[in-house]
Amino acid sequence: MKQPRNILLVDDEEEFLETTSLRLRRRSFEVRTATRWSEAMPEVEAGWPHVVVLDVMLPDVDGMECLRRIKDLRRHLPVVMLTGHASLQASLWGLEHGASDYCLKPIELDELIEKIIIAYQDAGGSS
Amino acid sequence: MFKYLAKLFSPRARLGPEALQSAFREHYRNFRALLTANNNALELMSAAEEMLHSGKPFGMAFVGGDLTALTVNVYKMVRSLIALSDGRYKELEDRFKVIADRIEMIRSRQPEVSGSAFILTMDEIDCRAVDQVGAKMANLGEMRNRLGLRVPEGFAVTVTAARHFMEASHISDEINRRLQTLDVEDLKALYKVSADIENLIRNAPLPADLDRLIREHADALARGASGPATVSLRSSAWGEDSRPGSFAGQYRTRLGVAIADIPETYKDIVAGKYRSQAIVYRQQRGYRHQDVLMCVGCLVMVDAVTSGVCFSRPPDDPRSPWVVIHAAPGLGNHIVDGSSAYDLLRVSREPPRQVVQVETATGLRDDACLSLEHARELAEVSLRIEEHFGSPQDIEWAVDRNGRLVILQARPSGASAAPGTDRESAAATELPLLSGGAVASRGVAAGEVCKVGSADDVLRFPRNAVLVVETPYPEWAVLINRAVAVVSESGQMATHLATVAREFGVPALFDLPGAMSRLENGQMVTVDATGRRVYEGRIDALLAAAPHRPNLMEGSPIHALLKEALTHITPLHLTEPDSPHFKPASCRSLHDITRFCHEKALAEMLKLGRRYGSRDKSAKQLYVVGMPSQWWVVNLEDGFRDGADLSGHFIRIEDICSEPMRAIWQGMTALPWQGPPPVSLRGFGSIVAQSAMNPQLDPAVRSSMSGRNYFLVSRNYCNLSVRLGYHFALAEASFSELLSESYVNFSFQGGAADERRRRRRVRLLADILGEMGFRVDLKGDSLSARIEKRPVAYLRERLMVLGYLLIHTRQMDMVMHDDARVDQFVAKLHADIRMIRDNMSADSGVDNETTSQHPAG
Repeated sequence: MKQPRNILLVDDEEEFLETTSLRLRRRSFEVRTATRWSEAMPEVEAGWPHVVVLDVMLPDVDGMECLRRIKDLRRHLPVVMLTGHASLQASLWGLEHGASDYCLKPIELDELIEKIIIAYQDAGGSS
Repeated sequence: MFKYLAKLFSPRARLGPEALQSAFREHYRNFRALLTANNNALELMSAAEEMLHSGKPFGMAFVGGDLTALTVNVYKMVRSLIALSDGRYKELEDRFKVIADRIEMIRSRQPEVSGSAFILTMDEIDCRAVDQVGAKMANLGEMRNRLGLRVPEGFAVTVTAARHFMEASHISDEINRRLQTLDVEDLKALYKVSADIENLIRNAPLPADLDRLIREHADALARGASGPATVSLRSSAWGEDSRPGSFAGQYRTRLGVAIADIPETYKDIVAGKYRSQAIVYRQQRGYRHQDVLMCVGCLVMVDAVTSGVCFSRPPDDPRSPWVVIHAAPGLGNHIVDGSSAYDLLRVSREPPRQVVQVETATGLRDDACLSLEHARELAEVSLRIEEHFGSPQDIEWAVDRNGRLVILQARPSGASAAPGTDRESAAATELPLLSGGAVASRGVAAGEVCKVGSADDVLRFPRNAVLVVETPYPEWAVLINRAVAVVSESGQMATHLATVAREFGVPALFDLPGAMSRLENGQMVTVDATGRRVYEGRIDALLAAAPHRPNLMEGSPIHALLKEALTHITPLHLTEPDSPHFKPASCRSLHDITRFCHEKALAEMLKLGRRYGSRDKSAKQLYVVGMPSQWWVVNLEDGFRDGADLSGHFIRIEDICSEPMRAIWQGMTALPWQGPPPVSLRGFGSIVAQSAMNPQLDPAVRSSMSGRNYFLVSRNYCNLSVRLGYHFALAEASFSELLSESYVNFSFQGGAADERRRRRRVRLLADILGEMGFRVDLKGDSLSARIEKRPVAYLRERLMVLGYLLIHTRQMDMVMHDDARVDQFVAKLHADIRMIRDNMSADSGVDNETTSQHPAG
């Protein structure tokens, strides 16, 4: 099975970005981070990430809109949604609009990695 | 997508094998996604059920997280099934949304606030205003306006005002976000989140209309006062000072506040909702944070000569004939904070109200700070309050410069959670390390001593230690779920910490001078709070008699919420796939939907397998020992060995490389069935055994099997369904490096036997599977068992045993009427299982066993 390598983390919480990217790198992932859509967009456009991990609340564009834009740019790019508060509407909306999975913070690193891998493989593992 | 697939499979489409293969792959991917989601959903359902019945505390973070994840997984199943069935079950999505909406409505239900007033003055408040002003202020108004008692003048800033403040400042989302990710067990994080949230609230501006109203009422108070007035600001939150939770001392009170500072202090009291001990308290008692709305009472300070606490009945002794009064000079929260010495008076409840006992802080009766007349008046008043509210009361009072008794607060005193058995203190042979003191909360517990005097000490406090303090400040309540007992040098049962300890059933012994110096950190001690002694080491005789801790969650708002939500989740109404009611419209719970999806997905895969198989020959009849068996194998992806001969109708067992299927098969064929003859051979169990000796298969068996006994396989996956007559079994296994995709599921239903025998059989199966580490769920004569997130070798062993059981328990029914034979049979089952497991651990290579037993024909 092919493994994803390039992970783009999009989240407005710097602390979360810092610790998560550090720990993902320790597991040999390449990680880039963005705190807002305007930072995430060029990476997605360039086709760098294999999987995007996306927070639902962002300062400039909300996560739902962000998901829509990612899918507009790259329809098959798997997106794992992540959020600090449990909102059912948001999660169902996300799945309907092409998110691979939807998880709640705090999430264990192993679980996140599994979700990333499964999302990637389900999307066909194309990089 | 649907259209694409529909075209692909329409009879007219003429597609090459490659296009078919890729369409099949797509279906298989959906099928796998559905199964994974099914597993997750079942796991989340049982996690919620377990939590509900565990008695353990849980908060909305758990409930919200579990329900959202569950709903998401069920939704994934629905979408996968729709894709898998080329859109056939589209209406299931509507059913799902109806159920999901109901659950979401329960989960996000907001407390309703009645009334629109931001401020109510004391003359406008009585018990009917409890939703507006909280129990503390409502009780105070009730005593003033209905009982004619003297209470401080003032006003209440209502919950409507608090909500207005929170909404206008737009900080609720931020607060919720921080609480959602907070792990309450992590005290350091708790302190930080608590401080952050409190600051968010303090720094938010008051809406101008509210600010103006508060100032107007504050000025009116100042004008009405004789001298320069100051006020006290007290929390009066929903749920506070009522049953079942007192929230004693969890929130904030500010005394001696200048009139001009009232608006700022108001925010401080509102922020007190998020003090760390209040967050822990709510979490432990099952309150949602949003259910606790904060009203603030603003009351003119009483110029007190003496003040204290009065119990109309002492909480540790519901049969006591006395009113108990604690009194100290001046005014303050000293008594409830546990920080000052006090006088103790007892007054008889029956008239004439005799003061029967006076113990003073100095030991001299003449030093008593409360006159006997006042004591009698206070006792009288406390009994009137008790009668009015209908339960024993815990009353805060003061006597002012003019000798007038003023009631500051009254709340139900709340029985001790540990039932006050009046047992004699066990005659322990050991000498106590300490003895005496005041019983703050009855009970016995043992643990290592941990002395606490600062916030740093709190962070170091280990689980299940004995909390030892100099003064029982309410702040230490943050440790109430970690401490097994509390020992304090000062304080008594009127302190807030004692109230909380009683509610949580944590034994507490107070007023024990020298405790800090006589006890060592890390020393194991047994605290017998009832017998007022502390012993070195664990005294098992004392501990054995101790009552269990109370279930604090039962009946709490969050417990009730989860329970209600689960009524739309766990009940299973769709049980019979053959019934006309087995359809989307009949789904009433998420469980129904998972069941429906699972069943229909399987059917779709088979249909596809047959359709696909007829062209591509992926569905094969299994060929063992030189003859066809009654087993069919559908290759989902990579379950057949490369280079296997697929030209014919059959597949040989050694050409199958599905690991889980091979494990099951090994178990099925490990031992020939030798069960107690004579029995009919028309059974599933006999098939394999029989196939080894008799090529003439029973036609009755064959007809009932038309396509019913099959393995769906890929290299790492196997789904085995067996249906014979009334008997249905399903084994499903997935092996993966990813633990969340590593599992074994097994379900078993029915069987041609009477009800009693069927039940006995599933109970026997349940016992065996339980011993093997399965999580087993028994309902009537149907059984389901699961193992997940285990390494492959572990699962392989379980699968072999399952394979064995599938073959051999069928015969159970035949012997179930004869106890002696049942025992014999069970003994043999166990012996066989032991042998299979031993073989397996001895032979880690595993794979060749089947082929060597059944040489290819």
